[in-house]
Amino acid sequence: MKLLHLFTILLLTIALNAQDDFFEPGYSIGGYGELHWNRELNKDGETTKNQMDFHRFVIYYGYNWTEEWSIKSEVELEHNYVQDGEGELELEQAYVNYHTDKWGFQGGVILPTVGLLNEYHEPPLFLSVERPDYNKYIIPTTWFGNGFAFYGNIADFNLRFALMEDIEGEGIIADGHIRGGRGKGYKATGYSLLKNMSAVYTGISGLRLGASLTLNDAPIDDNPDTSISIQMFEVNAKYSANNIYAVFEFGQNSFDGNNTTTDYYDDAGNKIGTLKTSSGYYLDLGYNIGGMVNTNKLIPWLRVSNVSIDTDTDSKITDYMRFGLTWWPIDNIAFKMDYGTKTKKSDSNNPTTQINLGIGYNF
Amino acid sequence: MKVSILIILTSFLVAGDIKITCEEHLFNLYPKNRDIRMHIFQLDKQIKNKVENIVKQRFYKDKLYYWTITEGDSTKAYAFLDNVIGKSMPITFMVILNIDGEIENVNVIKYREAYGSEVGSKSWLQQFINFNNNSDYSIGKDIDGISGATISVKSISKGMKKITTLYPLIQSQLK
Repeated sequence: MKLLHLFTILLLTIALNAQDDFFEPGYSIGGYGELHWNRELNKDGETTKNQMDFHRFVIYYGYNWTEEWSIKSEVELEHNYVQDGEGELELEQAYVNYHTDKWGFQGGVILPTVGLLNEYHEPPLFLSVERPDYNKYIIPTTWFGNGFAFYGNIADFNLRFALMEDIEGEGIIADGHIRGGRGKGYKATGYSLLKNMSAVYTGISGLRLGASLTLNDAPIDDNPDTSISIQMFEVNAKYSANNIYAVFEFGQNSFDGNNTTTDYYDDAGNKIGTLKTSSGYYLDLGYNIGGMVNTNKLIPWLRVSNVSIDTDTDSKITDYMRFGLTWWPIDNIAFKMDYGTKTKKSDSNNPTTQINLGIGYNF
Repeated sequence: MKVSILIILTSFLVAGDIKITCEEHLFNLYPKNRDIRMHIFQLDKQIKNKVENIVKQRFYKDKLYYWTITEGDSTKAYAFLDNVIGKSMPITFMVILNIDGEIENVNVIKYREAYGSEVGSKSWLQQFINFNNNSDYSIGKDIDGISGATISVKSISKGMKKITTLYPLIQSQLK
């Protein structure tokens, strides 16, 4: 009788301890959005672009069943509506997450850890109205797709390994850069599988250092017999402390055809070049003067950048200079304005001037 | 029978692994001649509302678990266990105050999200040492942020402020 009594107590105790006292199952909702007003002028001061656009409207939706098991999702609407080939409605994240204190795994539509912005792309987290072109053509942000990821924390390092769908080789050839190869999860192939390995260090207060290597043999038209071997290496650093705001990213991608060339063409069918290497960087430097003008955060900033979509072709090498002012009345809302030039190496006497205004939020 | 009820009740109060983690942490911090005991503090509604309005963050529950660290007859420090909400899950942390209400130690006991766990790093939490109810907990001023953990950073910082703001108001009622 005593044994049974003790056994019952033990079972009850285990049952009560099976779930944390502080956790309660429930829904979570969040999101972000950004309005942009983009203007471009040629070297004669003539307006070549004048566009207002609610570029992104995003909802995060998740559910936590237990401390360990949850689902997270992100749905995005771009450019106000989807109709006649305009606008985009995308499922950018939808994954089951298993999490313990030190490690976890995810499965579903996930993001690879590449660059600073791919996983952290909410508007109040970067300075400029538009995301840097480096995060468009060198790291194809937002890059998402079907796959699995394992992650773990050791000391002040966060390590992650993601295994994802193949990049679309024909998309790279069609667009002449890595961004064209994003399958976005739509009936993608899994022959070579994308391998994304990353490490992030946050052991020094205010500083975040990251690096990643991504490998894939991207099939052409879903046929693995012809593919493009892709290797992407990047490093990134962000320092945000003592009112200093500094971001640096550098990346290099290499492309090598297997039973195919990596020649790419313009719309008229003329060959532009052979895609072998893309590389780029940007450096943002800013200083928070919010304390001087009695506001939360106000950062004047400067950017220098180079984006070489094809390092061998001058028309695909662009230099950028930009400066701007970003104001956060509260941390979740940013009002942005920036002014800058972009100059192609093949046409260095014809810089394009860009003037942008924007509002962004996240919650 | 009484012992059985006691066992069940104690495990009900704080789930086993959290209680063990907290006490292990405290035993490692304080020498063996110090006595460490767990208590529960029931938050008075008025005091709770007052602190929540100052800090702009709610208390997770109406009670707080705390430990007294005593040497002989005198209490040297109080360790408070509390929770704040990160992106969608509670972050369980422990903050130890000396009897003057200054932070002696901070530790994240349990972080439940895939992203943002950097708030548990010793180097980041170190910034709060010696802070009290008069300190500035704003991110970007005396406290550095963490890229990729903006929500949890803000929540934890406010959580610290909540405990240090509460302490002078309840000090006389603590064991």
